[in-house]
Amino acid sequence: MEKTTLMKEKAHESLPFSVQQTKTSPLRDFIRHFRRNRLGVIGLCGILGMVLLAIAAPLICERPTGYGDVTNMLQPPSSQYWFGTDSVGLSIFDQVIWGTRVSLFVGLTSAAISVLIGVPIGLLSGYYGGRVSNICMAITDIFLTLPVLPLMIIMAAVLGTGISNIAMIIGLFSWPQIARVTRAETLSIREKQYIEAARAIGTKESKIIFRHVLLNAFPPILVNMTLIMGTAVLSEAGLSFLGLGDPMSWSWGTILQNAHSTGVIIHAWWLALFPSLAIVILVLSFNFLGIGINEALNPRLRKR
Amino acid sequence: MTHYLFVRLLRGAITVLVAVTATFFILRVMPGDPTTMMLDNRVPEEIRQQLLKDFGLDKDLFTQYLIFLKQLFLEFDLGTSFVQRVPVMDVIMSRLPWTLVLMTVSILITALIGIPLGVIAAYRRGSFLDQAINAVSILGIALFIPWLGIILLYCLGLKIPLFPIGGAVTAGLEGWDYIWDATHHLVLPVASLTIVHLASYVLYMRASTIDVLNEDYIRTARAKGLKERVVLWRHAVRNSLLPTVTMMGLQLGTLVGGAILTETVFAYPGLGRLIYEAVKEHDYPILQGTFLILAVTVVVVNILTDIVYSYLDPKITNH
Repeated sequence: MEKTTLMKEKAHESLPFSVQQTKTSPLRDFIRHFRRNRLGVIGLCGILGMVLLAIAAPLICERPTGYGDVTNMLQPPSSQYWFGTDSVGLSIFDQVIWGTRVSLFVGLTSAAISVLIGVPIGLLSGYYGGRVSNICMAITDIFLTLPVLPLMIIMAAVLGTGISNIAMIIGLFSWPQIARVTRAETLSIREKQYIEAARAIGTKESKIIFRHVLLNAFPPILVNMTLIMGTAVLSEAGLSFLGLGDPMSWSWGTILQNAHSTGVIIHAWWLALFPSLAIVILVLSFNFLGIGINEALNPRLRKR
Repeated sequence: MTHYLFVRLLRGAITVLVAVTATFFILRVMPGDPTTMMLDNRVPEEIRQQLLKDFGLDKDLFTQYLIFLKQLFLEFDLGTSFVQRVPVMDVIMSRLPWTLVLMTVSILITALIGIPLGVIAAYRRGSFLDQAINAVSILGIALFIPWLGIILLYCLGLKIPLFPIGGAVTAGLEGWDYIWDATHHLVLPVASLTIVHLASYVLYMRASTIDVLNEDYIRTARAKGLKERVVLWRHAVRNSLLPTVTMMGLQLGTLVGGAILTETVFAYPGLGRLIYEAVKEHDYPILQGTFLILAVTVVVVNILTDIVYSYLDPKITNH
């Protein structure tokens, strides 16, 4: 044991001078390339802006509840109500601002859940292979083929429509993509020389899998996560639009659902426009971020 | 070929079984039995017990599951709607054709537009045209279907009334008038589904065509002096279609989700609209049945795609 650490130190010392001096850690390299990627930076800014709005919501406006200004129902956008009002006189601007919280919460939570399920399945089945792995992948394929929105609808209808339930349901049905990507990466990393080297010096299997393989498979997983966040935002809006949103909190889909079910949506364009614009901006930001990360990490896609 | 087909069919059957099992247990394991959802709580206890017996809910969960499977696969019985008190199968079968028409037409149109666009974008890689096609496709993915539907309704249904604002057909028409009217009603729903799903076709087709265009046999074809048109559309496209066909199968689940939202916006009387109504009325048998039929549809189409795929790529069947 002592010998190996000693050897490692020696090896480090013997590195050529120039290599030790240049400051090119992979992270620094990534940041340098990412900053040059216009789409990626736009996406990141969009998401950070939305996060700021979500955190600062109580400072910007009061949480809309009950009936609003009933003398000003269905008003088009004005200096008083920037985004107009709905059929009970509540300000659409306030609803959209508070809706940011729901969308971001659902997007982040469900992506986290899908990573927690998908990454271990992908890693283990990719690394060990064999029968168990085949069964895992068959299950993944089944979940990839099934139409998930109706399944989410059934679960939401039965479980109840709290916002954490919705996030959990979306997460439960988003992991197969992550599992696929992780497995594909693991399969190719497993054959790399540094894994063989790690094995040769007697590194523990668990350390190889969760340190070396996972760290190297991380970039595509990250890209996939941003895409899942975008899809999750759309799914949440879809579920709310179908009347399965959390009745206790504002969501962009709920604003549309209220307008659609009362039949005023076609006459009051502002009811549809502003929440939908918010959805488009957030989803595009997630997708742009994904494209940016992908291009910054993948030398073949980099623009010179 | 037979072995390949057998494996595909087996996988399809397992997928359907998983769907059936999942919905069964989701609906039964949840708190409260169906009678508490169906009945007013002022109904006397004996009647409730009688109903439990009638629906077979007094037996243990596993027996219920077996009975459910037997009814489903041997008698094609999906149970009775809580609200309308008619067999779920009848309700679904009256709605299924509309959804199938909507989905088939949108897949065809999406493919007819998306595949050539992807090929052109790949051929002119880096040009302004390529960037424009890419940008529009990526924007399409981010659009929220109900919003797109509402915009189309507002612009082309209300402001410039070119198309009807809802439904699938005007009552009381026959023959060609009926078909014409149904097509007329179909335009806006198909347009919204197509715009949102176009992106994946374009992007897949573009990526795989770029790969194929770098292959040696393309250079050979050019060196033989074949026309550029023939090289691109016959030699390259035939191979770059393969990943796109796989993607078409995998996308089907998402397309079903899109169809549910589209039908809800356009009051189109398909299965999606049925789901929306069933959610509002807490009609669980309808929800379960609709999901199962949609799952079966997706599985069947996937098997068909696999057959098309094996026809396009002889390597598969020779393994």
